[in-house]
Amino acid sequence: MTLFIQQLFDGLALGGVYCLAAIGLTLIFGVLRIPNLAHGALYMLGAYVTYFFLVTVGVPYVAAIGLAAVVLALLGVLMERLVFHPLRNAPHTHHMIAAVGAMFFFQAVAQALWGADFRRMESPISGSVTILGAQISWQRIVIVGTAVVVLGLLTWFVKRSIHGQTIEAIEQDRTGSSLVGISPSRVSMLTFGLAAALATVAAGLVAPINLLSPTMGDALSLKVFAIIILGGLGSLPGAVVGGFALALAEVMTSTYVSAAAGEGIAFVVIVLVLAIRPTGLFARAVQR
Amino acid sequence: MLTVRGLSAGYDAVDVLHAVDITARDGELTVVLGANGSGKTTMFRAISGIVRPSAGDVEFDGRRLPGLAADRIVKAGVAHCPEGRHLFAKMPVEKNLLLGGYVRRRDQRRVRQLLERVYELFPVLYDKRRNPAGTLSGGQQQMVAIGRALMSDPSLLILDEPSMGLAPLVTAQVLDVVAQINRDGIGVLLAEQNAQAALRIAHHGFVLAEGRVVLSGTAADLLDHPDVREAYLGL
Repeated sequence: MTLFIQQLFDGLALGGVYCLAAIGLTLIFGVLRIPNLAHGALYMLGAYVTYFFLVTVGVPYVAAIGLAAVVLALLGVLMERLVFHPLRNAPHTHHMIAAVGAMFFFQAVAQALWGADFRRMESPISGSVTILGAQISWQRIVIVGTAVVVLGLLTWFVKRSIHGQTIEAIEQDRTGSSLVGISPSRVSMLTFGLAAALATVAAGLVAPINLLSPTMGDALSLKVFAIIILGGLGSLPGAVVGGFALALAEVMTSTYVSAAAGEGIAFVVIVLVLAIRPTGLFARAVQR
Repeated sequence: MLTVRGLSAGYDAVDVLHAVDITARDGELTVVLGANGSGKTTMFRAISGIVRPSAGDVEFDGRRLPGLAADRIVKAGVAHCPEGRHLFAKMPVEKNLLLGGYVRRRDQRRVRQLLERVYELFPVLYDKRRNPAGTLSGGQQQMVAIGRALMSDPSLLILDEPSMGLAPLVTAQVLDVVAQINRDGIGVLLAEQNAQAALRIAHHGFVLAEGRVVLSGTAADLLDHPDVREAYLGL
């Protein structure tokens, strides 16, 4: 029972990280209808920039994540302008090729600046607390708490604020959005900035638990794609539910079956879901 | 005042509209008649910046519209309620309307006034304000589309076949409201299949055929014109 509770918390913490990374990806898909294959690379850069602010500059942990999120948001906007905006009328394969190019570019930049070796980011939050006999580290509690707060703020932004609503408006009807005066270009930039910032928060939260390396985003990239396909492309609740479901499945399988099976479970789940519900769990009808 | 001069436009380098001249005076209701495929929708799309004209000019209150981004055109006071409505189907009715006021977002008091006015014109939308727009009946969705266009506080409202697919009784209701909007001082440019009903509430009219203006005049003249009577009124 203690082991189960321990794993449950680990799963929730990992789920929080997956959610934050997956939401950005699903937002970009909803607005631009492209799979941003460079999303994992943005996550990786987010981790390194957090490391830079925390270790090299020496600002407090939360401020380091915040500053890194701002830097990455700007980078996300820049990427939209320089990479995807010029391709807005091109076939979709061009977007994918460009995204892969951006991913390699970001990895090369990280390697040039920080080297190819693994780096460790010491956890600034130490200690643990005993809940129902299980030792839960404060870092994991902070991850879950932050994920819940950020998800709450994001939901408020997308559903309640006029700027956030433009994201949903573009997803639902491009022509209608144009006619009420919403600029697709501005919404694309907003979406990329937001997605990159969310990926950075995820990376900054998980960095003290994992090691940093220029290719750390690759495995995450595959998993968040699995999550948003599982949840239904473009669906926010789908990304949240999918993120936690996948993380729990992964952690529980690693514990009770084997670590290798845990790594593979994501893809077993996705194959099962796609076999039964090919549009994902929370599919929205795609009208175009 | 909207002045369209020598406007040509189309899709994929094939023009549907050929050198069209049209004017819509301030505060008047101008109707555009024409069969399906005569170029009405393309003309409206070229005016509101959804398609780029291949030639000609559009001027509204002394400003040239072609080349302006769609949001600038809405801000300038031209609202386009398109064929097929293009609502945000999964959002509640009220959110659709509030997004209609997107370009006026810095003046929330005005947005509230406009919202009240829309609910006055279409009381049924107030009752349905929390329902997703896509779940409403065709007539009610058309009301949402017109309401959303009004929320941008336009001085010219472009309505592309608001009665398409509606029952005759609902069509009459929608056209009544269009006349009422026009009486409030908002200029209306209306495309309509029901020529007789449209000409009754209009001041001026134009007839398009194969992308060209073939007839124009006051609504009363057009109602009496033998060609119009034969082709559009079935008399």
